Amino acid sequence: MKYLCLIYENEKSWETMPPAESDAIMNEYFTFTADIQKNGKLVAGEALQPTVTATTVRVRNGKVSTTDGPFAETKEQLGGFYLIEAKDLNDAIQVAAKIPSARLGAIEVRPVVDFSTESAKREEAAGARA
Amino acid sequence: MKYLCLIYSDETHWANIPQTEYDSVLGEFFAFTKQIRDQGKYIAGENLQPTRTATTVRVRNGRISATDGPFAETKEQLGGFYLIDTPDLGDAIQVASRIPSARYGCIEVRPVVDFS
Repeated sequence: MKYLCLIYENEKSWETMPPAESDAIMNEYFTFTADIQKNGKLVAGEALQPTVTATTVRVRNGKVSTTDGPFAETKEQLGGFYLIEAKDLNDAIQVAAKIPSARLGAIEVRPVVDFSTESAKREEAAGARA
Repeated sequence: MKYLCLIYSDETHWANIPQTEYDSVLGEFFAFTKQIRDQGKYIAGENLQPTRTATTVRVRNGRISATDGPFAETKEQLGGFYLIDTPDLGDAIQVASRIPSARYGCIEVRPVVDFS
């Protein structure tokens, strides 16, 4: 099963942190990433630039509108993500808890849709209706 | 440059639309994904299960706490993402505007950190 781990933390705390401390956390991140890569659990992962660089895009009546800033203002902000492969939700929670920011902010763990089983489920439902 | 496109829309809308409409939007998503794949702009993309399946994890004083539900309750919910590779933000916005959900909800486009 694939899970998306969304990393939320106060981005301001990074700006005011002494460099020695942010370097130490960055190193923890590199170690964590290397570990889950070795375990075969890493699918993808990225750190995001601060929310001041966000653009929100909408299309209404065929016209594209863009606004500066993120979709929602939150006390803690989405700062990055890992897409992981885990046995089950509990395994995913164990992995998420090892993300350094779990100590500083919060990690939202979301199962992803598996379209191979999803279409089988729908065919089954269609079969049941037939 | 890599950009993360976060797809926000009202997930109750998806739960309530007729199957034919659902299939048609899903077909649009598959066509969009194929198109950006063919253009070499696709890196990754996933559709998320509804926010009621979300778990929020925190570690405080070495102890793990897990709560049911997403980090924040919002009117529209994160339903999926695409990680894309485009020359600049203008191009990323063009790609984002072609994601079918841009017509129903919105797409938050975020540049990613290039550690190199």
